[in-house]
Amino acid sequence: MTSIQPGPESGTNQPLRPARPAPESVQPSWAGALRQELFASRTDGLVSVLLILVILAAALGLLRWALAQAQWAVIQANTSLFAIGRYPIQQQWRLWLLVVLVAGLSGVSWGLLRAFPRADRSGEIWPFNDRLAVVLLGFLAAWLPAALALGLPLQLRWWVITALLVTMRCLAGSWGRSLPSRLVRLVPLSWPLLYLFGMVLIAGGLGIPRVPPSEWGGLLLTLLMASFAILLSFPIGVVVALGRRSSLPLLRWSSVLYIEFIRGAPLITLLFLGQNILGYMLPGGWAPDRVWRAAWVLTLFCGAYLAEAVRAGLTAVPPGQLEAARSLGLSMPLALQRVVLPQALRIALPAAVGQFISLLQDTTLLSLIGLLDLLGTARTVMANPEFLGKNAEVYLTLAVLFWCCCAALGLGSRALERRLDPTHSPV
Amino acid sequence: MPSTQPMIEARGVQKWYPNGFHALRGVDLSVSKGEVVVIMGPSGSGKSTFIRTFNALEEFQEGSISVDGIALSNDLRNIDAIRCDTGMVFQQFNLFPHLTVLENLSLAPVVVRKRRRTEVETQAMALLERVGIAEQASKYPGQLSGGQQQRVAIARSLCMEPRILLFDEPTSALDPEMVGEVLEVMRGLAADGMTMVVVTHEMGFAREVAHRVVLMSEGQIVEEAAPEAFFTNPQHERSRQFLAQIL
Repeated sequence: MTSIQPGPESGTNQPLRPARPAPESVQPSWAGALRQELFASRTDGLVSVLLILVILAAALGLLRWALAQAQWAVIQANTSLFAIGRYPIQQQWRLWLLVVLVAGLSGVSWGLLRAFPRADRSGEIWPFNDRLAVVLLGFLAAWLPAALALGLPLQLRWWVITALLVTMRCLAGSWGRSLPSRLVRLVPLSWPLLYLFGMVLIAGGLGIPRVPPSEWGGLLLTLLMASFAILLSFPIGVVVALGRRSSLPLLRWSSVLYIEFIRGAPLITLLFLGQNILGYMLPGGWAPDRVWRAAWVLTLFCGAYLAEAVRAGLTAVPPGQLEAARSLGLSMPLALQRVVLPQALRIALPAAVGQFISLLQDTTLLSLIGLLDLLGTARTVMANPEFLGKNAEVYLTLAVLFWCCCAALGLGSRALERRLDPTHSPV
Repeated sequence: MPSTQPMIEARGVQKWYPNGFHALRGVDLSVSKGEVVVIMGPSGSGKSTFIRTFNALEEFQEGSISVDGIALSNDLRNIDAIRCDTGMVFQQFNLFPHLTVLENLSLAPVVVRKRRRTEVETQAMALLERVGIAEQASKYPGQLSGGQQQRVAIARSLCMEPRILLFDEPTSALDPEMVGEVLEVMRGLAADGMTMVVVTHEMGFAREVAHRVVLMSEGQIVEEAAPEAFFTNPQHERSRQFLAQIL
């Protein structure tokens, strides 16, 4: 018989045990983590080895084809066609100017983001990822124009543009804090202005000669259509999502009707339908040709799906938030604008970006209604007898281009998500 | 000490929920300036619904309520005016998670009262000092403990300089060890002469701070008495049952 006795450490006046560092199994070293992840048991090890072999074989095969067999002349000879389609040569300075402006403003914004970290964080001016990005940019600027066999003047232009971006990034990162705050607040505002100015540069007007949309093509057309649809569908999505939750029956019903109509039909059908009926539905100057009609269809299409994403976000904001805002005297529009929507949109962001990414890819459907977007351009190039049978090279280039655009969207959205997340905070 | 000037005057308030439930069945209550009224009652007795009618978070169908001389009606301007003067502290804090503590406090004074941000922030810092969390001003609500969040919520209400503060079970969602710090802040407010209507089950607080305790049951007021009399010698059978359950 043993009586229950307090153990040696459970006496009433024993000091509390202090924290001690975690054992290695909790925070393993780099090599230790690799061993734990890939070769924890015999089966794990076998699966890992097999997978590594398969991946290596596929990668080696692709590499051997890309370096030895593939004939990249089809891309090199059509760089300009893939980039901008049949945009007139004597007007191309407008596009270069736009690229320069975008690079400069990107550099400034990037630097300012680092110079003004969030209130509760200590931000580095040059985090590791940024240094990596600059190295990558430098490599791309040095290698890509050469690989595309661009003329030396063109290569030089890309070097200068990259240098401009990096320089602005450095300047804004180092001196951003000493700029007057009014100037800094202008920077986010300058992006929509630049977009409008870019539209004028591309399309003409305000004294510069017009370039009709039928002459836009390639990556230019793809990006233009996608960005137009993304930017305009956003306000549409928010308004329709609010409309669907409104207490006004007419507003609610028309929102539901719009969403369900768009979601009930395939995009390609809507694109063909739009070519035929949008001319009757929109004011005269809005949809004068095939390109603009397609742009509106893409916008309305994306808007309906976005409305559902935003509605999910609105539903996820606890009703107490609106009550708290209202009880502080905020009117309904103010409460939505300052309290509910910022939270709802943050929640909707991942779904919205997923929507934007699929929209970007859906722009390839434009080739089916006869527009020369990236895919449309690719098809004309492949139909050229000079480059017959070079499909693999062309499609791989297209895939990489789309992958880059989508990766940029995804990276940007994840960075935005982290910046907006009030609970994610490094210690 | 409370004066005789009425801050809240509720007469015969009747409310039905859309599903037909009769939540308030003719409630009368008058709260004087500087008075602290504690409302108790079993869950479902309508006490939260009742104080939420004071700033029009809940509609009512019959009867009348006037707050600081302004009658609650469907006129939106009246509702906004009353809401500006009536602070509300919620059980779940309802801080704005996307704003820092300081921004939580300064949002309404800046966008509703159109005051200068610098001036509001000075006042907000003084209020945070008063509730004892000035050093957390630049943190986000999610980084604070429940007790700290509720103190921020109280400071946020105070930043609008309300004449009345309504508390809807302010300590019910808190861990026991954090209840004290919130009650301490509320005690200080009562001592400064703030008019307060508090739905709570904190007996100690009611005994010590309240001028009057009101017991609600099934949508009506059953008993209304000074705290000492209410806790030691309840008149109504329903009050005795309730006290027996929470003691």
